[in-house]
Amino acid sequence: MDAQIFFENALNACVSGLVIGCIYGLMCVGLSLIFGIMRVVNFAQGDLLMLGAYAAFYLVVVWGTMSALGPAGPFVAALLAGPIVFCLGWLLHRFLLSRVSGLRTAGSLDEGHFGQLIVTLGVALILQNGGLILFGSTPRAVSTPLSSAAWLIETGPGDTTIFLNKARLIACLVALVVVVALWLLLERTRLGRALRAAADNPTAATYMGIDVDRAHRIAFALGSAVTAIAGGLVATYLSFTPFMGIDFVVIMYAGVVLGGMGSLLGAFWGGLTIGFVQQFSALALPPQLQNAAIFVVFLLIVVLRPQGLFGRSADRA
Amino acid sequence: MLDIAGLSVAYGGLRALSEVSLKVEAGQFVTVVGPNGAGKSTLFKAISGIVPAAAGSIRFDGEDLLARAADRRAHLGIAHVPEGRQVFKTLTVRENLEMGAYPETGRRQWVRTLERIHALFPILAERHEQLAGTLSGGEQQMLAIGRGLACAPRLLMLDEPSMGLAPAIADMIFERIAQIHREDGLTILLVEQRVAEALELSDRGYVLETGRMVLEGPYQTLLSDDRVRRSYLGIGDE
Repeated sequence: MDAQIFFENALNACVSGLVIGCIYGLMCVGLSLIFGIMRVVNFAQGDLLMLGAYAAFYLVVVWGTMSALGPAGPFVAALLAGPIVFCLGWLLHRFLLSRVSGLRTAGSLDEGHFGQLIVTLGVALILQNGGLILFGSTPRAVSTPLSSAAWLIETGPGDTTIFLNKARLIACLVALVVVVALWLLLERTRLGRALRAAADNPTAATYMGIDVDRAHRIAFALGSAVTAIAGGLVATYLSFTPFMGIDFVVIMYAGVVLGGMGSLLGAFWGGLTIGFVQQFSALALPPQLQNAAIFVVFLLIVVLRPQGLFGRSADRA
Repeated sequence: MLDIAGLSVAYGGLRALSEVSLKVEAGQFVTVVGPNGAGKSTLFKAISGIVPAAAGSIRFDGEDLLARAADRRAHLGIAHVPEGRQVFKTLTVRENLEMGAYPETGRRQWVRTLERIHALFPILAERHEQLAGTLSGGEQQMLAIGRGLACAPRLLMLDEPSMGLAPAIADMIFERIAQIHREDGLTILLVEQRVAEALELSDRGYVLETGRMVLEGPYQTLLSDDRVRRSYLGIGDE
């Protein structure tokens, strides 16, 4: 009997790890574009995620703009958080980050990382405390009827049941679609190739006629937008405050490094791995130690495979 | 075609180029030679707009290049094959060539130029799905030249294409450059340390030393100049 309960729990942890992991994967992909590919350190990434969550919250709950869409409303709002935060990312890069990144710092000793660290840390503090002033400290949620509904799948020996939270599953599917769309954009389009070339070698990209500053701006805004969409998706199943970013920024950096710097899909797998580890550790560990479990696995992978799970050693020697 | 007059470039307080003048006529093969640190690469970077000019003018087909942003210059038909190759290591060989064809003219003639590039360097066709970072030095140099050709340029600037290559590979690269000039009638501006080979190919040569043009003329004149013979060719009447 005990064994069967454990089996059932493990199966459920597996499924929810997969579902949560896809959403983590999405936010990691956003950071991967900025940190893994463009090599810009962004400590405000978690707070962009927070803005995505609040954008969805305002669209759905405060202004009620999504009521016509019924249960799909919160997910459309999460997608709309993308373009909103895209604009913000664009402005952040235009007025702040372009001064400490790209061609301006291409040849310098630290490649602008010190400057980026300080600037984005400042941005993070402003967003968190600005958020506190604007949104208040009350925990918010974008609840949908789906948040408390689940599909039950009866399977296996002796009536094992898998619970699939509907809101999480749909959020996971939306995340997958966004990741695939972004991957296609980067791999299959002229713009995507230009972004990758500008990240790979800014000077040579300029020789090819690419406006490197603009390419970096698009990449930064795009990475912000993708993480914001993930934030909007998280909002459909988790309550949040303006300080939610701190929990997630850690997950994102771990995911990007885990998957291998410079590899977009690697970052997705990194995020997925973290989702798995987190859900599985819940079987054996108290909730406070779940993040510790993530970092034990993280350290193990970094020690055993320093280029990341999917890093290509030819990427950067 | 390319007309540089009185060009000066400074890094911080340091003069890298002072009052350099240089002319390349359409269809010509022009070579700039000089020792390490003479400012040859700086000259190219100034033409491409990666370093700012402190004084002087650069005109391309009568157009003032200094008034154009660096990334717009490639769109005028100037291809820069940089020192040290600088291929996009994380992109495939084919994607590297596609990036070369980023300007409008390159895209319009893509099919034809790609065929030409593959005819010149068949190895690039063989390796087209491979990441450029995994190629050997010689192959990367071929890719860098191919990438330059992909924009269907009117002026091809080559910065030390033989650097760090085995002699046999370097010879092959020189042969291809000569072939590109001969068969496609492409205007070429070359910077080289392998002075004898470079000057042999050229219509005109310039000698750059510590940021100044100390000598210029048709290659026969340069090859018979005592200073050039002594300093660069290792033959002299001492």
